[in-house]
Amino acid sequence: MQWWCAAQGIPWSWSWRAYPGVWLFIVLVTLIYLRGGRAREGEFSRQRLAFAAGILTLWAALDWPIGALGSGYLASVHMVQFVLIALVAPPLLLLGVPGPWFVRIADRRLLSAVLARLTHPLFALILFNVAVAVTHWPAVVDGLMASQLGSFAIDMAWLGSGILMWWPIVCPVPKRRFPYPLKIGYLLLNTVLNTAPYAFLTFGELPFYATYELAPRIGTISAQGDQRVAGLVMKLGSGVVFWTAIGILFYRWWRTEEAETTA
Amino acid sequence: MARLTSPRWLAGVLLLLALTACGRTDAERETLARERETGYRGFLLPESLGPVDFTLTDQRGEVFTLRDRTAGRLTLLFFGYTHCPDICPVHLANLAAVLEDLPYQTARRIQVVFVTTDPERDDAARLLDWLGRIDRSFVGLTGTPEAIAAAQTALALPEAVRMPPVNPERPDDYAVGHASQVIAIDGDGRARAIYPSGTRQAAWLHDLPRLVSEFVDDDEPPPEAGSLP
Repeated sequence: MQWWCAAQGIPWSWSWRAYPGVWLFIVLVTLIYLRGGRAREGEFSRQRLAFAAGILTLWAALDWPIGALGSGYLASVHMVQFVLIALVAPPLLLLGVPGPWFVRIADRRLLSAVLARLTHPLFALILFNVAVAVTHWPAVVDGLMASQLGSFAIDMAWLGSGILMWWPIVCPVPKRRFPYPLKIGYLLLNTVLNTAPYAFLTFGELPFYATYELAPRIGTISAQGDQRVAGLVMKLGSGVVFWTAIGILFYRWWRTEEAETTA
Repeated sequence: MARLTSPRWLAGVLLLLALTACGRTDAERETLARERETGYRGFLLPESLGPVDFTLTDQRGEVFTLRDRTAGRLTLLFFGYTHCPDICPVHLANLAAVLEDLPYQTARRIQVVFVTTDPERDDAARLLDWLGRIDRSFVGLTGTPEAIAAAQTALALPEAVRMPPVNPERPDDYAVGHASQVIAIDGDGRARAIYPSGTRQAAWLHDLPRLVSEFVDDDEPPPEAGSLP
């Protein structure tokens, strides 16, 4: 029984495969969210919609076929997983968190203190980019992707670090103000910091990952070609996400300034 | 509570993450150990084997005698079959990619020879088509099952085994179990090194120039061009 998508070294088949570990994880996260209580009047459907979008994104990224292809066959699909799990799903999930939850967090001293540290923008920025670098390091990818537990660990590292990275943008940071200009600078810095892994993948002459270099081939794409596409997916995918967020923040900043000026 | 949130704890976590990135897989450590011992990332034979020679039919339907047609070159000999779903296409695709990156003077002294272990399905036309999509310079050989088995035995390789079809209603859809290593044969027809399934492009790129330099005579006349029309 294969609970989580991992590299198996067997030829690819387009026949559907079940990964019940993924379903359990999605159901668990959804149940925790639903048990957490309802949002204030008016925010209910918007937040539920955001959470639903986030959880569906996560499900698509982890389950067959994207999860299976990305874990053991194509580096480019592995990168699609990264963009979805670390960059797309976390802000949607966070947007789905009802306001009263943050009040409850603030009431718990230990949780609030830990969260204040972890979601400090500088720490979150460093942690996220270190996590990206480590989880894309060839020895780590090749060492972990061969096992279900290892593959799960990489997926959770992406999700966890992504949630922390997006927290200062989307959610209130305990004991700290994070004004719009800093939020925009924070995201701009992220677009610059992921240039290194993108460059290695796109311009490297040899395949970095044994997992994908030695995987049973799908179609006619070479290992090098697949790796180059992976680099482009990483750069373009993350660029679309970050610049969309930057655009939204600019707009909200402008609206705020307008409102203050009018007042 | 102070410990969990102290800067030292957080710095320690970051350092641990960074150190994790410096590790190597077991396969990489073994490869590097071999390189330190022999200078090669493949398995150098303690004593050369051969001379290796056999006569089969190439992808143009012509008689191909290995020693005659590959003399003066480094021959990379591989037994596989075109319907192989994993090892064979990966091995050959990696070789093709590396040969493209090698300097011309080195690459022209290397010949890849693919011998089918499934002569029933892999006739000359099939070999021509399949190998042509990987690298037009690769030679594909077929022949009688007995001749192919004899070639494998001469190299101390286990004979290929035809597996029963997964679906009895599709008797032509079967797998063939076969030795998965590439054998490097020098310009005099002697087997010098073995490269198992899982050999990476970086290992080929490291070893092939050394093999050519050490085992192919520079004084030999330039080898003929690739064999496919």
